[in-house]
Amino acid sequence: MAARVPTAMGEHGGTDQGLRIISILISGLLLYGGVGWVLDRWLQTSWWLPIGLIVGVIAGIYLVIMKFGRSE
Amino acid sequence: MLSLIPLLVPMEGGGGEEHSAWPPGVHSFASRPLWPGVLPDWVNNHALQAVIAAALVIGFWLWMARGQQVVPSKKQFLGEQLYNLLRNTIARDILGHDYRKFLPYLVALFSFIFVNNLFGQFFLFMFPTFSKIGYAYGLALLTFILYNAAGISKYGFGNYLKRMTLPAGVPWPLWFLIIPLEFISNFIARPITLALRLFANLFAGHLVIMVFVVGGGMLLESGVLFYMIAGGASIIFSFAIFALELLVGALQAYIFTVLTAQYVSSAIAEEH
Repeated sequence: MAARVPTAMGEHGGTDQGLRIISILISGLLLYGGVGWVLDRWLQTSWWLPIGLIVGVIAGIYLVIMKFGRSE
Repeated sequence: MLSLIPLLVPMEGGGGEEHSAWPPGVHSFASRPLWPGVLPDWVNNHALQAVIAAALVIGFWLWMARGQQVVPSKKQFLGEQLYNLLRNTIARDILGHDYRKFLPYLVALFSFIFVNNLFGQFFLFMFPTFSKIGYAYGLALLTFILYNAAGISKYGFGNYLKRMTLPAGVPWPLWFLIIPLEFISNFIARPITLALRLFANLFAGHLVIMVFVVGGGMLLESGVLFYMIAGGASIIFSFAIFALELLVGALQAYIFTVLTAQYVSSAIAEEH
């Protein structure tokens, strides 16, 4: 995170980071929820979608923490 | 988009008078071929408008760049102020020391979007070009190519892909979870949201303007006193909406440019 110097970036950095965090969280949900949905359709089951959604949320939050949580 | 229009507006025959059709909707954004039968159909009024905007931008900056002196004239002062505004607030703040390479693109991008957005309030055109989503996708594609090319030329293809899809410090069992997510967020979600943000703001703004102006006009012509008063009020209020749209147009041009610079900066960043 050394490249994202908060003082030099000002509020632009904040806008971009906020948008990125939201997009990561949403794409996590969509990606793994989508994988679960496809598995459900394919295997004729109904429990992959919730698992996929949960995995997606976890992956999204984890990624946000890894990318943005350590800048202090 | 165009093929959806007959589905969305079944009551319209799809004639040439689509712009005055009430209520305003997606059909109000349809392009008219400029010279049907002679020129191909994609040469329409909105493509012409984009070309005019590009010519205006090129002409403006060429004119500003001509006859530079050490003691600036009023014209040069104006040009330098505009250029400095873009350079200092967008390029230098975000891109750091190697901002100079990307500055021409950023200035051109901002001017082009700004002029096209102003066309939404300009009497000859009365249509913001980027409320057609294809134009917004085109610009986002340019930005997509730019930030990936900048990253690839700096780090090489494999190394760049690794940097963009794998944040530092992720243990390997989680790679299969994180890599697709990062890939989607960096290479798919970013350009698409960039385009959609520009498009949706201008589309919605233009739609609101049409409701106020066209609807107000119809009420005024209705001949019923109460309706005519409401129509007059609607037309007066439309000027406030026009002012709001001026703000939105300038803001969206700025945001598009800032985010482009951000994407380039994150593609060529030294260390994450």
